[in-house]
Amino acid sequence: MSRKQFIISAEGVNKSFDGFQAIRELTFYMDVGELRTVIGPNGAGKTTFLDLITGRTKPDEGKIDFMDAHDLTRMSEYEIYRLGIGRKFQTPTVYTDHTVHENLVLSLEGSRGVFRSLFSRLNSTERDRIEDILKTINLSAHSQRKAGALAHGQKQWLEIGMLLAQNARLLLVDEPAAGMTDEETAKTGDLLLSLAGDKHSILVIEHDMTFVRQISQGRKVTVLHQGHVLCEGPVDEVQNDERVLEVYLGRKARAA
Amino acid sequence: MKSNRNKIELIIVAIAAVILIVLLPALNAAGVVSNFTMSVWGKYLCYAILAISVDLLWGYTGLLSLGQSLFFALGGYMMGMHLMRMIGDLGQYKKPIPDFLVFLGWEQLPAFWVPFSSLVFSMLMVIALPAIVATGFGYLAFRSRIKGVYFSILTQALTYGAALMFFRNDMLLGGNNGFTDFKFLLGADVRAAGTQRGLFIATAIVLIAVYGFCRWLTTTKFGLVQRAVRDSETRVLFSGYAAANYKLFVFVICAIIAGVAGALYVPQVGIINPSEMQTDKSLEIIVWVAVGGRGTLLGPVVGAVVINALKSWATRAYPDLWLLMLGGLFILVVLFMPKGIVGLPAQIRGLLKRKQTPSALATDTAAATP
Amino acid sequence: MIKLIFAVLLSWLLGASIYAATPREIIAKALLIEDSEEQAKLVTSLGDSDPQEVIALLTLWKEGGIFLNVDAAGAKVPVTLDEEKDGEGKQLAHRFDTGAAVGKLLASDLNAAETDSALRLAMKSVLDMAQLSSPDAKKRQEAVETMGSEQDPERLPALLARQTRETDSRVKRAIREAIALIQLKDENDAVKIAACNELGAIRSIPSQDALKAIVAEATAESKTNLANAAQLALNEIAKHVTFVNTAGTAFRGLSLGSILLVVAIGLAITFGLMGVINMAHGEMIAIGAYTTYVVQCVFGPGLELSPFGIHIALPGMNATGTLYNCYFVLALPLSFLTAALAGIALERGIIRFLYRRPLESLLATWGVSLVLQQLFRLTFGANNVQVSSPSWLSGNWTVNDVLFGWNRVFVIVFAVAIVFGVTMLLKKTPLGLLIRAVMQNRQMAACMGVRTERVNMLTFALGSGLAGLAGAFISQIGNVGPSLGQLYIVDCFMTVVVGGVGNLIGTVISALGIGMLDQSLQQILGNPVLGKILVLLGIILFLQWKPAGLFVTKSRSLEN
Repeated sequence: MSRKQFIISAEGVNKSFDGFQAIRELTFYMDVGELRTVIGPNGAGKTTFLDLITGRTKPDEGKIDFMDAHDLTRMSEYEIYRLGIGRKFQTPTVYTDHTVHENLVLSLEGSRGVFRSLFSRLNSTERDRIEDILKTINLSAHSQRKAGALAHGQKQWLEIGMLLAQNARLLLVDEPAAGMTDEETAKTGDLLLSLAGDKHSILVIEHDMTFVRQISQGRKVTVLHQGHVLCEGPVDEVQNDERVLEVYLGRKARAA
Repeated sequence: MKSNRNKIELIIVAIAAVILIVLLPALNAAGVVSNFTMSVWGKYLCYAILAISVDLLWGYTGLLSLGQSLFFALGGYMMGMHLMRMIGDLGQYKKPIPDFLVFLGWEQLPAFWVPFSSLVFSMLMVIALPAIVATGFGYLAFRSRIKGVYFSILTQALTYGAALMFFRNDMLLGGNNGFTDFKFLLGADVRAAGTQRGLFIATAIVLIAVYGFCRWLTTTKFGLVQRAVRDSETRVLFSGYAAANYKLFVFVICAIIAGVAGALYVPQVGIINPSEMQTDKSLEIIVWVAVGGRGTLLGPVVGAVVINALKSWATRAYPDLWLLMLGGLFILVVLFMPKGIVGLPAQIRGLLKRKQTPSALATDTAAATP
Repeated sequence: MIKLIFAVLLSWLLGASIYAATPREIIAKALLIEDSEEQAKLVTSLGDSDPQEVIALLTLWKEGGIFLNVDAAGAKVPVTLDEEKDGEGKQLAHRFDTGAAVGKLLASDLNAAETDSALRLAMKSVLDMAQLSSPDAKKRQEAVETMGSEQDPERLPALLARQTRETDSRVKRAIREAIALIQLKDENDAVKIAACNELGAIRSIPSQDALKAIVAEATAESKTNLANAAQLALNEIAKHVTFVNTAGTAFRGLSLGSILLVVAIGLAITFGLMGVINMAHGEMIAIGAYTTYVVQCVFGPGLELSPFGIHIALPGMNATGTLYNCYFVLALPLSFLTAALAGIALERGIIRFLYRRPLESLLATWGVSLVLQQLFRLTFGANNVQVSSPSWLSGNWTVNDVLFGWNRVFVIVFAVAIVFGVTMLLKKTPLGLLIRAVMQNRQMAACMGVRTERVNMLTFALGSGLAGLAGAFISQIGNVGPSLGQLYIVDCFMTVVVGGVGNLIGTVISALGIGMLDQSLQQILGNPVLGKILVLLGIILFLQWKPAGLFVTKSRSLEN
């Protein structure tokens, strides 16, 4: 009997910081090709969960597997990246002293070895690819500007562009809409929707419920609360769940 | 604008190369430029090579190493060992082994000294020893992600420990006094004007080569990663680069460059002892780079020459005040001239511009094209 | 030999009852007797008299300081001569027995009172006995130890005699040791074996060489019993030596750790809590040390300085005795204050611009360190200055052969006091509360109305002031010179880094740990430099294992 592969499967994960239990008995499965949204109030452990997947922190207990084959808890950040897991941080994190173009070059999929980096030159396919990405993220005109000089929204786009350049199998996107205009937010949503498929699985963390509605479109949404999965299901179902209402009551009026 | 600057820099380097490799030696041979001037400038050029290595680490990779004086001295010691062997039995004790070994009661050459009779082996060691030490230390330090000031403090401790070791007589490397009284190099009298001229030319060629190598290195993808490590090391990990390997590579390369500089320095000044590897020396090199302008390749060279010329003058004219000047200069540069001498024109332009139109800053950075 | 012992014992037992005269009278009498055996008897009878006087008088005699003058009546009178000579070289003579002046005499005209070998022997045992009777237990112990180390059988009677009367436990043990040591030279093997057993039983460390000699000798002459006994004693002593060394190492390690702690605790605050890399921390220590020097000079003869050709003369109080010894009490707070003020100047002038740029604050403060070192050199000279440590720092206690130097005890007490003080300051005072608040969350503290700038300044002043205190302390146990700070700076940083940043307890543990490790390695390797190098290596390896505290992982935003 064959079942669909999990891109991420986390089982019995615990993590505490100085006595604060950030993740508690977390169990989470996500299929290959899925676009999953994770919501939850502040301190629910959303970002910590991403940190655990990307190797930024190590769990106290439990295992997190990628493609049912790789135990992520034993790997370092760059090894996990090389498996094809890319991450966009909550606060835009780009190389501020490098140009937009250089940022994309650094993120382009391909060898990451020291000696290869000495002699590698961009070939025409790679140059075209960078041009395409620049167009997609609407930064063609700024390709030679230093990334640090971009506006906040543009930095967000650049970081998304860097994810695209990496051509990751699993994209972890932490609050992509923060600091974007409504129009840009909608465009980001469209981009994520167009990417989701067999080649890319996407895990989005978001607060903005309009955005969540736009990208989930009946897909499964996970609600995290106190480091634990509170409930899972389509967005409408989740929003009417009593437990969710209780958790959010008074905190996120616009979610209702 | 940036490409213009590159062109100007290239022209400056080409002119400097011609002056250093051809013109000065020729004028010296003709008796126009004194041997003293040549020896002083030979020393400056060695310092310039060393300064580039520090800048490649600090300015380009963000690793403020206080251990470069150690690698410089290690290279110097390897060369010094060969020069000591070349004294033959012309030492004070007229024995076929170096004087200080006779003094310590040795009859025969200790085994590890034997191969240093060969210049080729010694030159290999000039490269290999700093590389080995740097690989070992760098591997441990970078593996455990020691960075920033912690890295500086640890390299300081490494250098301190090494200096303590070299001060000891039972290292059989001359203890306090180190090596001196060299006589021959490649069969020629090492103190003869001709030999010194040859060494000067060699130093100039190495300097230009090191400059060229670093120029090339910083334009490769490696250079991109290097600067990325400097600005945001954690981000580099999340771009899939094993930052530790990149840092280790730069660290080892810079150790080798410093070692070569040391090897060229020793026959020109005629002495090497453990005081060369103290952390104060490392910090002095950092002053040269900071004053010249870090993150550029011309800056360290300018800084090394300017500060050392100033030092030569001040230690003669105001010996008491030199350290006050050096310290004061350093404080001022750190506080007010973060880009050093080389960055001064841009800094002044920036200041003027900000006064005229406060909003012009953004367009200024935007206008930069490679 | 036996006869002599008997004579000594007898005379000692009977001495008091037969001659109820003062030593001076007895000696005066002896001087006039021709028969040396009679003389010896009289001298021997001195054994029970006041030892100090006996020593003085007999020594005078032995060394030819007593002369026999023939007076007008033709009788011999023992005299002593004053040192002062007049124009003709004559010296004033006094009668030995009464002290009355007898006129000026020429030394060359007189005959010194003679001594022959029998008499000298008698004198020696009386002198030995006298030394053994010194009222000062320390002196008695020294005398016993000297006798033991000389292994001279002729000393045995005096020791045996003393043994029965001695009350001080240390001296008693020393006498047992000395007797056994001397008995090792006995001709009878049984006595030797007993002596070996005795030395083993009291774990006599100084007797090791003598015992080794016995082992060699006995083995050569194939006297198995004796060799075994000596070897057993040696084994016993070796065990004790190991214990003494271990305890000594632990104590020295503790005191070295305390030094590290005292010099590093200021840095634990500026670097550990504030995150400022102050390379001039060592010079802050030096400021404290020089302040102590200046205070000492003001209490003493005063001080003249001429930095940059400006002449500064500080008048001295020329205090002596207790008042002078108290200068340190005043020097402590002044050292703290001077260094704290220097710290404030440094923080206001330079460091506050560089809070966000740690590498650059490292460089700028190194510049400051250079400037300060040169200023010390120009003001106080390039050589070390003399800071005299109070006399109470130079003694020691010996407990079971383990030496506890008072200076090391002082070091430990000082460290405990400072750690206690700092902890109290941080935990119990309003300033401590502010410091902890700002160091934990600067923005939050600022929002709550804390003037963070001011707290920064005060925290840095505290750290620098503690460095100054450390300087006052260092001046009592080490040299004070312009490069004093450079000696300690690497150790300071190592201590704080290993201890983990922002953690005073960590600093305490790491200082003691490094101190212990350093001293143990030194003990094992027998070489201080090699030990130090290994410690540095150990620290690098330690950070492999526990880099915690070196990099802090924070989430949400990638870099802070």
